[in-house]
Amino acid sequence: MEFGEESSPALAFDKDAFELTVEDVYDISYVIGRDLLKISCKGEEVSDLQFRIVRVLEMFETLVNKYNLSLEELKMERDNLKSELDRILQERSSGQGTQTAGPNQLLVDLTDPNRPRFTMQELKEVLQERNQLKAQLMVAQEELQLYRSGILPQAEPAMVEVDLDTPAHSRATISEAAKEEKTTIGKLFSFRRK
Amino acid sequence: MAKKTYDLLFKLLLIGDSGVGKTCVLFRFSDDAFNTTFISTIGIDFKIKTVELQGKKIKLQIWDTAGQERFHTITTSYYRGAMGIMLVYDITNAKSFENISKWLRNIDEHANEDVERMLLGNKCDMEDKRVVPKAKGEQIAKEHGIRFFETSAKANVSIEKAFLTLAEDILRKTPVKEPNSENVDISSGGGVTGWKSKCCS
Repeated sequence: MEFGEESSPALAFDKDAFELTVEDVYDISYVIGRDLLKISCKGEEVSDLQFRIVRVLEMFETLVNKYNLSLEELKMERDNLKSELDRILQERSSGQGTQTAGPNQLLVDLTDPNRPRFTMQELKEVLQERNQLKAQLMVAQEELQLYRSGILPQAEPAMVEVDLDTPAHSRATISEAAKEEKTTIGKLFSFRRK
Repeated sequence: MAKKTYDLLFKLLLIGDSGVGKTCVLFRFSDDAFNTTFISTIGIDFKIKTVELQGKKIKLQIWDTAGQERFHTITTSYYRGAMGIMLVYDITNAKSFENISKWLRNIDEHANEDVERMLLGNKCDMEDKRVVPKAKGEQIAKEHGIRFFETSAKANVSIEKAFLTLAEDILRKTPVKEPNSENVDISSGGGVTGWKSKCCS
């Protein structure tokens, strides 16, 4: 609101229609009323016109009032939506945790090094191979024990040779990786010393 | 392969909710040891233990399954080859007891019809945390006509007894015949030969 407006109500006439406030309407009414007074002595027609003008000014007041209120509401609504949008955008960029998915869906964070990435079939195959190797190891262990206990002839050194060919490095890896097999390694070594 | 080191091969399976102690039960039986750290089984694992029953050397190939639902498709494919199934629950975990019916249904759906079943209430050393009375375990076992033991892998209570009893029950049903080959057949779950296919082959 400009300072000059109060001192000079006539300034309201110069304003943009969409920037009018209820106060401007009152200023306009004041100016029109004042001007009407100057001519009110001229007869009955003028007094009728006076009432109509007042009525129009009242309508004008209502419209300006309503317009300003609606504008205010829309502005508030817009600000709310804006902050809501900011909140959602921030949530999405900061963490995936709060994201929602369908009832039978899983959201995967592609930056997570521990994210699920193998199929059930792949896991199945790996497990089968692991168990197969484990079984083979057990068979070998058993046979080794038979050799050691003298049930089987000790003449065939094939298994020992295979063992000797194994690079020391990989043997170390095996013993580290499978702690429970340590005893086997121990057996192998004690057998070799014989 | 040279010589047979056993007369019979029995394939057993451990099932039950995650965390009830299936792996510990098996570890106690196979290695007579106990480990307090909880490591969830990935899919399926197995251990071998040879026992002697009625003058026969019986090799027990015991499959240890993951209790977690996400491994369901992998674990159920191993039911078919099992001759004996141990269903384990935790006496300190009511949910694991409630799920017994679900596991029994899995057996009905995926295992051989004549599979020998057994119910184990594990962790019976934790009496102060017990929520499932022994009588309830006995009752549900009776309803389904299966054997029941309360066990503790930690305190080594009834573990060996349970396995030997299950093996005996299977042995009783096994026709006296020349036993199978040396091979430890590991192939896929379905490929693990059940005793039926064995006596027919």
